[in-house]
Amino acid sequence: MIEVRALTKTIRNGNRSVDILRGINLEIESGQIVAIMGASGSGKSTLLGLLAGLDEPTSGQVLLDGTDISGMEEDELAQLRGKKLGFVFQSYQLVPTLTAFENVLLPHELNSGGDGRARAQQLLERVGLGGREHHYPVQLSGGEQQRVALARAFMMAPPIILADEPTGNLDSVNGQHVLDLLMELNQSSGTTLVLVTHDEAVATYADRRITLRDGLVVADTLAALEAHA
Amino acid sequence: MSAPSFAWKSAAKIAWRDMHASRGKFLFVTMAVAIGVGALTGIRGSSEAFKRTLLTRARTIMAADLAARFFDQPNAVQEQQLAELATEGVAETRVTELVSMASATDHDPLLISLKAVDTAAYPFYGKVDLAPAGTLRDVLRDDTAVVADDLLVRMGVGVGDTLRIGQGSFRIAAVLVNEPDRLSASMALGPRVLITQRALAATGLLQPGSRAGEHILFRLPLTGVIDDFKRKVETILPEAQVTDFRETNPALTQGLERSTSLLSLVSLVALVLGAIGVAMAMRAHIEQRVDTIAIMKSLGARSRQVMRIYILQTLLLGTMGGLLGVVLGAAVERVFPYLLRKLIPMQVTYDFPLHAIVVGLAVGILTTLLFTLPPLLDIRKVRPSLILRRAVTEPEDASARGLLRRIAGARLQIGAVVLILAGLGVIAATLSDSQVVGRWFTLALVAVLVVLLSLARFVLWLLRKMLAKTRSNLPSTIRHGLANLYRPGNQSATVLAALGTGIMLVTTVFLMQKAIVRELGDSSSPNLPNVFLIDISSREVVGVKELMQKQSGVGGQVETVPVVVARLAAINGTPLNQLTLKDYPKRFLQSVSLSYADTHPTGLKTVAGKWWPEGEQKSEISIGSRTAARIHVGIGSMLTFTVGGKQIETRVVATHTTDGQHVFSRSEFIVTPAALSGLTPVWYGAVHIEPRQVGAAQRALYAKYPTVTVINLADAFQTLRGVVDQIAMLIRFLASFSIVAGCIILASSIASTRFRRVREVVVMKTLGATRRRIAAVFSVEFLLMGAVAGTVGVIFANLLARVLLHKLEAGFRIEWLASLAAIAGTAAIATLSGWMASYRMLGQKPLKILREE
Repeated sequence: MIEVRALTKTIRNGNRSVDILRGINLEIESGQIVAIMGASGSGKSTLLGLLAGLDEPTSGQVLLDGTDISGMEEDELAQLRGKKLGFVFQSYQLVPTLTAFENVLLPHELNSGGDGRARAQQLLERVGLGGREHHYPVQLSGGEQQRVALARAFMMAPPIILADEPTGNLDSVNGQHVLDLLMELNQSSGTTLVLVTHDEAVATYADRRITLRDGLVVADTLAALEAHA
Repeated sequence: MSAPSFAWKSAAKIAWRDMHASRGKFLFVTMAVAIGVGALTGIRGSSEAFKRTLLTRARTIMAADLAARFFDQPNAVQEQQLAELATEGVAETRVTELVSMASATDHDPLLISLKAVDTAAYPFYGKVDLAPAGTLRDVLRDDTAVVADDLLVRMGVGVGDTLRIGQGSFRIAAVLVNEPDRLSASMALGPRVLITQRALAATGLLQPGSRAGEHILFRLPLTGVIDDFKRKVETILPEAQVTDFRETNPALTQGLERSTSLLSLVSLVALVLGAIGVAMAMRAHIEQRVDTIAIMKSLGARSRQVMRIYILQTLLLGTMGGLLGVVLGAAVERVFPYLLRKLIPMQVTYDFPLHAIVVGLAVGILTTLLFTLPPLLDIRKVRPSLILRRAVTEPEDASARGLLRRIAGARLQIGAVVLILAGLGVIAATLSDSQVVGRWFTLALVAVLVVLLSLARFVLWLLRKMLAKTRSNLPSTIRHGLANLYRPGNQSATVLAALGTGIMLVTTVFLMQKAIVRELGDSSSPNLPNVFLIDISSREVVGVKELMQKQSGVGGQVETVPVVVARLAAINGTPLNQLTLKDYPKRFLQSVSLSYADTHPTGLKTVAGKWWPEGEQKSEISIGSRTAARIHVGIGSMLTFTVGGKQIETRVVATHTTDGQHVFSRSEFIVTPAALSGLTPVWYGAVHIEPRQVGAAQRALYAKYPTVTVINLADAFQTLRGVVDQIAMLIRFLASFSIVAGCIILASSIASTRFRRVREVVVMKTLGATRRRIAAVFSVEFLLMGAVAGTVGVIFANLLARVLLHKLEAGFRIEWLASLAAIAGTAAIATLSGWMASYRMLGQKPLKILREE
């Protein structure tokens, strides 16, 4: 379960301070698929980053399964992310020096012992890249890179997956393919999925929609209710 | 935007805005350029001052820059010509040497070597040591004399007593401990007595026909070229033997030559290290700009316009860094003498260093431009689609045609590389005042770059092949670190080349310094003879040797040399009076000292031909190579000597040089014992005695062998040793400084690759990597890179040092420990600087960087 309490984030830009998040309160149940929506600059990506401890909030708390991550040290955070969180970014963020296979294997190598190769291979096959294990990121197309990123995100079977505009850099065919894979993987492993998007089509996959504007939650609706409305 | 309307002015505006936007990064680049230029100007400027100091020190051994020695007084025309030299800023002073008798009341008269000087000018360099201490000008008046201590021993007189010399009488004012030209003065026949020139005139000893030797000592202005001046003096005084300070002590001179060559090398090294620093900083800078360039291109900018912007930026950075560097260098140059002032008085000229500033700036801007050329040319290849998607590398066409196409595609880059090498060569040639060093340096530089770049490719290829087979069996940290080295489009080859070249240069400086200091040490090693014994008869020689060996403070063996005075009668059958010898005063051949030796004497080096085997029965001769050249004889020439009416025919089988340190050092003509059979020689001896024990040994010898003359050069050698130590210290200091500066530059070069690591660090952290883990991955990468670069650099350093030392006729030894330390050190520097550069990055919050994507 993810809990967010009175979360704010202010950044200083020169002499001016900008409030990006102005007090967010949220609770996300385990297994839920949540779409965070909003216009550009509304604070969606910052919120996602704070959920993962990728940045420090100005005030407020983020609790993952009851653990407050706000005051955690860098390395503790890294370890926590490795075990609890999977990431999918808009611009893939694969490690350029590693092959597709090694990129998928990387979280395993960073976070646990034992042999993860079979699982990595299996995940790559599931995302349809069975024959391209030994390609480097630059040798893959954008859609392929994002599929590698998907496999990587699920490698540790984390309870939570965070996705920041996962289809934002892709054409509609590739985007749809990636989205289908994401949902499929999510369903089979029963993870909590938090998706940042401004694409209505993507949001339709979610159980719940949270809309931000100017750093505040302006709408929080369940898909089931919306369908009835 | 059309090309003509996009003027330089708007390019400048954009360049400035771009710089202003990321001031931090530009400061880093500017600092890197400044450190490079600073090291260059600082080290170069200092090495000039060091060289001046070294030469001045060396001059103190002769008290002058140049000395002309002859037996007649100059005639009126010659005097006139000598006087004209003064208008060129040349100072001269006369020293007259003659053998005379001294007497004192109640004592036997004694043969003395009288030396008359003008205290107003003498000595030009160094100082005369007296006991009790005092300055020569104060102590030596027209009615006083300073005398060597052996005169006091032999005559039984003391300071304050009166000596009679010719028609003058002199109060002994002090004991003459040492004078700067002691080692270059002629071997004295009796104790030395120093008086003034005016006093000498009053003694009435200078009668026409008296065998007085005249020395003219010259001091050149700072800008004077010694070889030109020497020729001039030789023309004015054709009968004189003209020597300059470099010839006084061959070992010292050679050490000096090597030291100045080393200083020349050090400046070149500073140049290239500076250039590497500049180049790496600029490379990283342009790399950072790839995205901006792609955006500009997508907005319609043409390659040429973009290049204009970055050329302007480069120029500005080069100028700013260059100016800062010149200031830094000037500071270094000022601080050095201050640091060293207690150990050695340095000559510092406080003129405005315009030359150094111009050179420093030119090198800063030029190397900045030269080294940014390849990345600037790459701008043409940056595709606007980059803003949408990172470049996808196309599979390489492995066929021959594909290779040709790639080479053709890279022709501008290849041209740029050739231009860089040529540019560096020109700069090196201009800056180097030693041709040998300049040429070999440039060659080695090109070779090491070619080898390193190809080797880098090879090692990376090998690594990739190896990893393809074994990678899954390796610990992931190591695998990941290794993988970092050969990722597509990575900079490993460049960093490897920069690091390897840097290490080669730094190690070469170290190896050269070590070898030169070692040989300098040999040339002033503590057991070299410092006391010489003259006129030992054949009957006495065994006894003298035994007696001396028993004295306390005697180190090593007593060396002896037999001498027979002969006249050179003919060369290849032509009598001496029919020979035309332009370069050599014939008078010196009227009485030459013939020595004989069965085995090759210590301190002698055969230059041409071959030394005879032991027990050789033929009449053969080895001649000092300088003399051989001047009297035009070579291997196979026949020389005829007459000794006491007897004719001796000898065949030249070898020529030699001496180190000026042993008893045979003054032997220009050495024959086989068979050649002189039946003749009775006079012996000369040499031995090392602790300076403080010389007096006692002298007294013991005098008591038993009163006719043997002792020449005590202990103090003179002490001075020489001091000079040698100072030279060694100076070059050690400058070498260490350039090594440290080199390491800093290399470290900053590696640090400049940090920008490309930021994204990687962030992704790894996002995936759960701890800082320690990331540091470990980087360590593997840097350690391997350092080890490879270090190994290649050290191998080349050994080769280069070997060639250069061979050219300088100095011995080369492989320094295993130092070489291994250099390799380990390179790996350590690479790793440490990698860590330091990544340290801040490791602590950064990931989101900040991810948002920048």
